[in-house]
Amino acid sequence: MKLLTKLTLFITLSKMFIVIFFVLLLPYLVSLVSFRYTNYYLLQQKKKVIAEIDKNGIDYYLQGDSTYASYTMLKEEYISLVPATSNNIRDTIETSRRIVETDTLNYRVLIHELIDSNKNYILEIGKTTSTIGEYNNLLRRFTFYILIGLIVISVLVDLVYTHILLRPLTKIVRTKLLNRKFPFVEKLSPIKTSTTDFKFLDDSLISLMEKIHEAFEKEREFTSNASHELMTPISILQTNIENMMMEEDISEDQQERISGMMKTVNRLKKIVHSLLYISRIENDQFAKSDILEVRELSLEVMEELSPRIETKSIHFTNNISSGIKIKHVNRDLIFQLLYNLINNAIRYNRESGSIFLSDHYIPGKSYTVMIRDSGIGIKQEELETIFNRFKKSGKNKGEGYGLGLSIVKSIISFHGFDIKVTSEYGEGTIFNIIIPVEMVERED
Amino acid sequence: MKVLIIEDERTLAREMMIFLEKAFYLCDKAYTAKDAKKLMIENEYDFILLDLGLPDGEGLELLDDTKRMCPNASYIIITARGKLEDRIKGLDLGADDYLPKPFSLLELQSRMQAISRRKSGNNDPVLELGDFNIDLNKRIVRFEEKEIDLSRKEFDLISYMLLHKNRPLTRLQLSEHIWGNFSDDDYDSNYIDVHIKNIRKKMVAYAPVDWLQTLRGIGYKIKI
Repeated sequence: MKLLTKLTLFITLSKMFIVIFFVLLLPYLVSLVSFRYTNYYLLQQKKKVIAEIDKNGIDYYLQGDSTYASYTMLKEEYISLVPATSNNIRDTIETSRRIVETDTLNYRVLIHELIDSNKNYILEIGKTTSTIGEYNNLLRRFTFYILIGLIVISVLVDLVYTHILLRPLTKIVRTKLLNRKFPFVEKLSPIKTSTTDFKFLDDSLISLMEKIHEAFEKEREFTSNASHELMTPISILQTNIENMMMEEDISEDQQERISGMMKTVNRLKKIVHSLLYISRIENDQFAKSDILEVRELSLEVMEELSPRIETKSIHFTNNISSGIKIKHVNRDLIFQLLYNLINNAIRYNRESGSIFLSDHYIPGKSYTVMIRDSGIGIKQEELETIFNRFKKSGKNKGEGYGLGLSIVKSIISFHGFDIKVTSEYGEGTIFNIIIPVEMVERED
Repeated sequence: MKVLIIEDERTLAREMMIFLEKAFYLCDKAYTAKDAKKLMIENEYDFILLDLGLPDGEGLELLDDTKRMCPNASYIIITARGKLEDRIKGLDLGADDYLPKPFSLLELQSRMQAISRRKSGNNDPVLELGDFNIDLNKRIVRFEEKEIDLSRKEFDLISYMLLHKNRPLTRLQLSEHIWGNFSDDDYDSNYIDVHIKNIRKKMVAYAPVDWLQTLRGIGYKIKI
């Protein structure tokens, strides 16, 4: 999930959670506030009543009766004075039911013991709670709407701001990471942002890519230099030996030894060539921009190898289907790949053996090219190491697989292919080249 | 034929010179671009063998200069860099051929001959080999008027050996010429034997082939 999406979700959900929590809590809060207020109001009323009684005297209110009661027209509030029946009642405020005339109502009631001329009275001041409830509902609805409005506004503001805030990051991802192809040749320009974290990220990426590019260039230079440094002395040796071979006054024995030296130099040449070739492949120095028909290329390889096939009287079958093309590959490398595998199939085959080429295409799933030979085969324990450099099949000393299969392996990984090998010792070997189906095109 | 060898590796230049002089070329050597320019002002050359990695200048630039100074010469670029771009650039600048190091001297001479043949159209490309005629342009071997059916590789082999007649040629040298970069040591040496056997078989039906000698443990030689 993208960072922006995550942030958006988080902001929206967290705010919604707060709203719901607050709305649920609201009745409790409102009643708490109104009760406090009512209590305070009742206490204030009590002070006023006592002040009035002190001023006018209690008889002014009792007017000969033993009790006094008074209420407002709608019975929202009432006040009463009754003689006390017991002593030492503490001031209390409680919610209780009172019958005023014919109506039974819930009141918040303050009870106070009043002593006047040695007589105890109980003073009650009440205020209905129904009005409190009405306020409560109204308040709740009102706050709810305001909150929703505020939330919508703040979510929108947050989203716009996050979007702006994250814009440099999106740009970094788009320009520095997506669609960037190794070895990062083009120069990168830093992104304009006031967010230091992004600035840091951007700068680090740029310097990292520059470092990779530098290292790659160095490697490339090294390969080129190494090839020069190695090839020149080999070249001198080779020409030297060739000239020696032509000397007229050398014996046959000497000629044979010179011929041996030539072979050794040639071996050295082959090894250096192969290593440089592998290093060039691994350094991405081949373009992957060719489209080729597999069958056509395999026929070309066969043509190149036909003298060897004929000399060994090998029965060659090519069942690769025509019209299947692979793209984003390097033609020379794929040629070399097939060449090495088929060449091995000839080399390690028996006299009058057979080689069988075929392919298997399941559209949308897989494309496999198979090379099967009736050769000497590879022992199970050696199967894992045949692609390693300089690994030799133990039995064929001096005629090991050498670097041919290492080259195969590097061409395979360079193109993102896969290779599977199965072998029956003494019976033959099967190489399966698995090509990603996205690279395959079929012509009808 | 006059040849200028421009190569900063002195030993290599010397070996090339020894070899080419044996093949009756007249050779001059230059180890630097400066020396090379001096020699080119003073002399006319048929061939200029140019190493690209010279100590005093980029070889490709030198090629540009020398093309103006010696417009009639044939150019072969010799380099250890072996980069495809260099090769294309060199051929674009008018080089006639390109030989990556390490190369075989035999191969060098064979390329030089091919260039000569290409450039001088009136040069008679039909060579005599015992009682046979070899037409290098049409790639045909004849006995009197009869054509002998040789495969492509077999023709390559016999013409290469003829070019380097009277020299011992190892199986390796032969297979390197036939297979180029794809040659495969010991393994191909056997194929050379098979090819030579086939050539003998096909040609001996018309006339003796005593000129084709086997050198035990080494290779073959055409002696005429």
